[in-house]
Amino acid sequence: MDARGRRTGVGYYLRVLRVVGGIEFKAKYAGAALGYLWSLAKPLAYFGVLWLVFAHLLRTSNQTDNFTIFLLMGILLYWFFVDSVSAMLPSVVERGSILRRLAFPPILVPLSASIGICVTFFANTSAIAVFIAADRVTPHPVWLVLPLLLIELYVFSVGVGLLLAALFVRFRDVGQVWDLASQLLFFASAVFYPIGIVPEWAQKVAFLNPFLQIMQDARHVVLGSSGPNDLSVTDVYGAWGRLFSIAIVALVFVAGISLFRRESRFFAERV
Amino acid sequence: MPAAIEVTGVSKSFRIPHEQRTYFKEYFLHPFRRTSYERNDALDDVSFTIERGEFFGIFGPNGSGKSTLLRILAGIYVPDAGRVRITGRLSPFIELGVGFNFELNARDNIRVNCALAGLTTNEVAARFDEILAFAELERFVDQKLKNYSSGMLMRLAYSIAIQIPFDILLLDEVLAVGDQSFQEKCFATFEEFKQDGKTVILVTHDLPLLSRFADRVLLLEHGVVSGVGPFDELVDAYRESALVG
Repeated sequence: MDARGRRTGVGYYLRVLRVVGGIEFKAKYAGAALGYLWSLAKPLAYFGVLWLVFAHLLRTSNQTDNFTIFLLMGILLYWFFVDSVSAMLPSVVERGSILRRLAFPPILVPLSASIGICVTFFANTSAIAVFIAADRVTPHPVWLVLPLLLIELYVFSVGVGLLLAALFVRFRDVGQVWDLASQLLFFASAVFYPIGIVPEWAQKVAFLNPFLQIMQDARHVVLGSSGPNDLSVTDVYGAWGRLFSIAIVALVFVAGISLFRRESRFFAERV
Repeated sequence: MPAAIEVTGVSKSFRIPHEQRTYFKEYFLHPFRRTSYERNDALDDVSFTIERGEFFGIFGPNGSGKSTLLRILAGIYVPDAGRVRITGRLSPFIELGVGFNFELNARDNIRVNCALAGLTTNEVAARFDEILAFAELERFVDQKLKNYSSGMLMRLAYSIAIQIPFDILLLDEVLAVGDQSFQEKCFATFEEFKQDGKTVILVTHDLPLLSRFADRVLLLEHGVVSGVGPFDELVDAYRESALVG
């Protein structure tokens, strides 16, 4: 029998994450209703401000139908991605003392951090389903693609999160770089405007980020095309564009896991 | 039957930089400046063997490398040189109570810690009552750990640690907290481990404890093994070095 006993294998990782996720979920709702409302407040505040500013502007220029849901989906997906990465990034450094004193796979630290974000995301999404019902968007079988897109987004955020978490142990600048990058991402990745209104070269750059492919595909699945400028990755990169995007996700994920595994041998003494 | 733990020529040193380079700027501004390090040789060419079923004590003055050695045995630190061969399942808890989340109650902490240690949900459920009973904390199961006293925390942590199936238990300074009656209960578990053929490795300054339970002890001084053998043979050497510092 291996010295790690049963602390190895996919089943073990899933068990730990399920227990941690369940307890996070409970902690969030039991006696902390206000705490949960705050996590809903952030996306709603962004939504409110952007809606006031852009709804009129974009509607009068015939840019988007259904701007309400278009914007809500963008904001929810953006914060899901950014919050997961932001939670994973400092997690290893913050839990340094546990890593030095408990023998368990370090990768569980960032993964459990991301589980908490998933819980919030699903709670927010169900709250916001009310808006969707009010806006009379009827569910359609094609919505079954949505879970696949969410899995793709989660895999992407885990890849980025593991990369940054491992780098953060060596370089504390990574935190500031990510703060800036995530801000830029918000403005550059068509969360609150249709991507087609920026020049073609900028579209090509923007779609290098799989986040944009995922967000646009999700919007198209729910809303159909919201207008001539509401492009998807295949409009910019041709028929293979989506595969190209998924390949980037896979690459980032593999890079994240392998860098984290290589570096994690020394986390206990470096953090 | 192979030994439970076989350590051959293990060395470990930590480099403590005089100026920490944790920002990119320092690499850009002074790319060629050699960072000067303080080299701290925590362990130097340590070799020993622990047989299956032994109660093995590791002692020595402060800063002699005991905790580093224990973390290497647990696989938390990677040795610079040498080999560690472990036969059997290691308990994951080196220091007790570090995996606790003080904002959660005992119930949830037990579930998280047991899951981390590799138990399934059913196995946790089967052991749950026994963990609480041994720790004598049934009445406090729904209280957040931030309201626990240090003795209560230690009881809960030890109680969890011994409910995880293991062949080899590594413990660093555990029984410092806890009242007399709980200590006696822990000692009783030591006897049980011995009967079950489980290996216990204990790092401690508690000489009476070592004299009572340890089959053999290892005296570590400045990262070097000063001796391995029965406690009585090594205790004088230890007293001397602890006094001299």
